[in-house]
Amino acid sequence: MVSRADREILRAEIRSRGGKLNAADRENLLKPYLPDPAELASSSSSSSPPRRSRASTSSSQRRQKPRKKPVRTFLKSQLHHLTYAITHIVFGIVVRLLQAYHAIVDRVFAIVYHHHRTPELIRKDVRGLKRLPQHLSVILTLQKEDDALSVLMDEVAELAAWSTCAGIAQLSVYEKSGVLKSCIPALHEIISTKLASYFGTPSQQPSLQLFAPHHPVHGNAPDPKSESPSLTLLLLSSTDGRETIVDLTKTLAEMSQHGKLAPEDITPELVDAEISEITTLPLQAGSDGRASNTLKPEPDLLLVFGPFLKLDGYPPWQIRLTEMYCTGDRSHGMTGYGEAVEYQGFMRGLWHYAGAQMRFGR
Amino acid sequence: MASSMHLSRLRKWILASPPIEYAITHLKELLVGALRQGPIPQHVAFVMDGNRRFARTHGIETVEGHNLGFEALARILEVCYKSGVKVVTIYAFSIENFKRSKFEVDALMDMAKVKLSQMAQHGDLLDRYGAKVRVLGRLDLLKPDVLAAVNKAVDLTSRNGDRVLNICFPYTSRDEITTAIRDTVEDYSEPLRPAPSPNGPARTPFSESHIVHNIRAQTLGSSKIQDTHSDSESTSAESSAQDDDSFLQNDPASRVYESGSSFSSSTTLHLGQQDGHPHKGVAQTNTSDGDSPVYISPETISRQTLSDHMLTKGTPPLDMLVRTSGVERLSDFMLWQCHENTEIVFLDVLWPEFDLWHFLPVLLGWQRRISKSRQNPDAEGNFAGDSPDTSEEDVEKVVLRQSKVKSV
Repeated sequence: MVSRADREILRAEIRSRGGKLNAADRENLLKPYLPDPAELASSSSSSSPPRRSRASTSSSQRRQKPRKKPVRTFLKSQLHHLTYAITHIVFGIVVRLLQAYHAIVDRVFAIVYHHHRTPELIRKDVRGLKRLPQHLSVILTLQKEDDALSVLMDEVAELAAWSTCAGIAQLSVYEKSGVLKSCIPALHEIISTKLASYFGTPSQQPSLQLFAPHHPVHGNAPDPKSESPSLTLLLLSSTDGRETIVDLTKTLAEMSQHGKLAPEDITPELVDAEISEITTLPLQAGSDGRASNTLKPEPDLLLVFGPFLKLDGYPPWQIRLTEMYCTGDRSHGMTGYGEAVEYQGFMRGLWHYAGAQMRFGR
Repeated sequence: MASSMHLSRLRKWILASPPIEYAITHLKELLVGALRQGPIPQHVAFVMDGNRRFARTHGIETVEGHNLGFEALARILEVCYKSGVKVVTIYAFSIENFKRSKFEVDALMDMAKVKLSQMAQHGDLLDRYGAKVRVLGRLDLLKPDVLAAVNKAVDLTSRNGDRVLNICFPYTSRDEITTAIRDTVEDYSEPLRPAPSPNGPARTPFSESHIVHNIRAQTLGSSKIQDTHSDSESTSAESSAQDDDSFLQNDPASRVYESGSSFSSSTTLHLGQQDGHPHKGVAQTNTSDGDSPVYISPETISRQTLSDHMLTKGTPPLDMLVRTSGVERLSDFMLWQCHENTEIVFLDVLWPEFDLWHFLPVLLGWQRRISKSRQNPDAEGNFAGDSPDTSEEDVEKVVLRQSKVKSV
């Protein structure tokens, strides 16, 4: 809101590295843009100390002005209320129109891009992409309905199948409550069934390894000689987030209290090693050639199936460089859109990651 | 090509003409005032990304791009504070950025120094209007002259009002988390009471050791009447407490964790202590005259403890994180703070171009969502708790208080 002339003066001043103007000049330049101190004191909460309004004597007459004009203040606040209402009406309309537009586009995508449970089609959809995430992570939400768990497990199974077909060997699924961790065997069963429906005969079926932090690995390790794809699936919940870091701190504090560790020894590398340990595949007894299959601790792409991008307790340490994509992100975080786990949303995320635009028609 | 350049010049000229400029200024003020009528995020973080790319695409020097970025920052800070945001956190410089060209790093440091020292010149102005400036990060990586400017500005504004500007200067989030862990560990490694001189001012009028002696005498007396089993137990407890002093000094590990088991048998002694500190999280370690330090139990470390050791302690939770320039990563910024309920927004605009017009839809969307979740608290934090259609209608009603919207 600075006028152009003043901006030019300021820029020239910056170029000369603060040599041209002294403090008083700058204050004069700024004066027209500063809010009225009295206004500031009244608009900010009552906690603001009175010291501030008394601090200056030079602007005392300016400070008195608005107090004498309650009508003007009243009208101003009414005007603001009105503007608030109007902007939100207009914004609401625009958002609805955008939502409608995106809903139609998404339906078209859903028709054009459908997997038909055929790995070849999915492979074809990702063939043109410049890069694929090595480790894909997904945030899912448990719905409130009675069959929410079965819906969720089916979503995980679908995602597992799509990832395997697309050639992503590492998938982690975050669900806040951690309900998935309590039924790993059942989930393994469901995913295997789903994979069978995609891949057909058992000989072509990918090997599946399912595990969660502090839980044993379920499923058998891939045969390094076989050609079939493999999938490592990690289940995460909110306890793997801040809570893990708290647990680590507890352990470190204990060690420090016992004199086993100096606080100076705590480095980002140490924390990283410890945190990563949890999400990597626990080594089974007698494993030798499986080192290549360990999970990459930091996901490359995080897909959020929700109306807006919220991490919702996702483990913080690992997402430093993770790209994020929200399937409902295109309408400024409006609700009621983009929640369903759909193939077209999954594909959109992958295309976005590769820096490509999705087009109508394969 | 030439015509588009002329057009843009014409547009600039029109925008800069006094009446238009006046109108735009007032329109902005009106919008900001309107924004204040609704819920406003208390804490907003910005990743100021795109200065260099802006400079490259506009054919100006990188340093100049950073200067324009600073102008954009001033613009957006004005919008934020006027609309009621309490805390703004900006990512000014990453620890990783030290790897950039020396020329650019020096220029950025120079800019920071100039800005901060200029700020210090406006002492009373800042007092009247100013926000608190805090610099978060590894200050030890800064050069001494920059550090001096930082300290001066922070000191000068430390008494200011309730608005806060957090500048993350040489900062990465992993470093912050690590530092928080380290500080917590250090805090918990401090003995509660300095062991060798237990007669500090905080002492009660009763001597603890005296009480312990009395209790012990009682236990011994009573146990002599009772069977030999408890006798041996209590004496063993006593002896371990006395004999193991040197051993405990060397290995506090066993002290904390064996004390529980060894004293659980000598019940009188243990209960007597627990009465003194019922569940204060104090690991009762030793009964003999304070030759060994007492620690706070690590089990009392919670998420809040760590949050209080983060650099952003004392600020409201992060409501919104905005990153410009279309890069959709956090790049090691506010990992701890933003992973719960923060709305993360990636905008496809370069930071020097960032203005109210880009920020407004984000804020409006946030207001809409918050109004909805306040009106329907069950759905808060839930992406798809209820059927979207009905809830949408409700939002419209509450936010807009208009029925005509239904026709949309």
